[in-house]
Amino acid sequence: MSSIEEISNVEAWEKHVSSLHPSTLLIVSFHAPWAAPCAQMATVLSTLASEYPVTEPPSTSWVKINAEELSDISEAYNVTAVPFLVLIRNGELLETVSGSSAVKVRNAIESHASKTGTAAASHNGSAAAVKNGEAEVTTEEDPEKKKQELFRRLGDLVKAAPVMLFMKGTPSEPKCGFSRQMVGILRDNAIKYGFFNILADDEVRQGLKEFADWPTFPQLWVDGELVGGLDIVKEELESNPDFLKPYSVKANGEGSAVAS
Amino acid sequence: MASRTPVEDAIRQKITAELKPTTLEIYNDSHLHAHHAPMQGVTSKETHFRLVITSEAFRSKLQPARHRLVYSLLKDELAQEGGIHALQLRTMTPEEEAKRRAQETEVD
Repeated sequence: MSSIEEISNVEAWEKHVSSLHPSTLLIVSFHAPWAAPCAQMATVLSTLASEYPVTEPPSTSWVKINAEELSDISEAYNVTAVPFLVLIRNGELLETVSGSSAVKVRNAIESHASKTGTAAASHNGSAAAVKNGEAEVTTEEDPEKKKQELFRRLGDLVKAAPVMLFMKGTPSEPKCGFSRQMVGILRDNAIKYGFFNILADDEVRQGLKEFADWPTFPQLWVDGELVGGLDIVKEELESNPDFLKPYSVKANGEGSAVAS
Repeated sequence: MASRTPVEDAIRQKITAELKPTTLEIYNDSHLHAHHAPMQGVTSKETHFRLVITSEAFRSKLQPARHRLVYSLLKDELAQEGGIHALQLRTMTPEEEAKRRAQETEVD
């Protein structure tokens, strides 16, 4: 299970790049802490990263860079907007993805990661690829396998944070009244949560309906279990004001006021 | 003459038949959302509903399970193009309804 390392200065960046194995795919995520789409992209990327096993030599290396603080590096890669993804292998720039489309990001990473045949089940893949005379390992999986794959990803996504909100839009820009109210409730109770904008990813949007056996959004998940939609959350809080208290960051005179 | 509220009729008929509710209130909130972007181009006047249902069928079930039960009864209406877009539910057992009524009528 790979994880994403934060690079905080130029020396660390140069050191990391020069230490990479020529076959390793370097996945660089440029972000700005104040930009909501970056928080969402962080969730998407850490879920993706967790699907890539740490191999020897490493097939993938995942790093993130604060685009404003390390502006020299951002300039070198022409990062004009965040979130911004850069894929590099053996010092060569392979592809960049600008913006918050989770689908585009996932496709870019998956297509470049599998080019060296180091993704899981590579043997079947490369055997079939050799047969077709193609160099690329494409998704020739049958629909059943694709669905299993999607459900596995969703299983990870709902656990990405102890409290996960799947909503329409983002907390700073909700695109639906019910999602907006849900965000308001979580904020009023000072709940720390992760969010996912299902409008940005249709595969997750439709897949989650089936995975959760729940046709509507927003959906609030706690510790990997579905609590329900706005109506349920409102009622739970009405009948039990301590509902979700364990996930609140209210400074009760203990601990820090701001969780990182 | 065909009904002008086919979706509401279907909701009433299915919930009544399957859950035998002692209370069933159906509120059509569609007009509150008609101007929203996702509703542009939608001609149906039956897109957003709020239901209040009291039924024995909800006993011993947690909220998500109760809602799933109602969703499964209205599966077709939820799935169809131009069908139900949003569904708010209040699901209670007879005891819970009585408790809520008592709370609401409490003075001061």
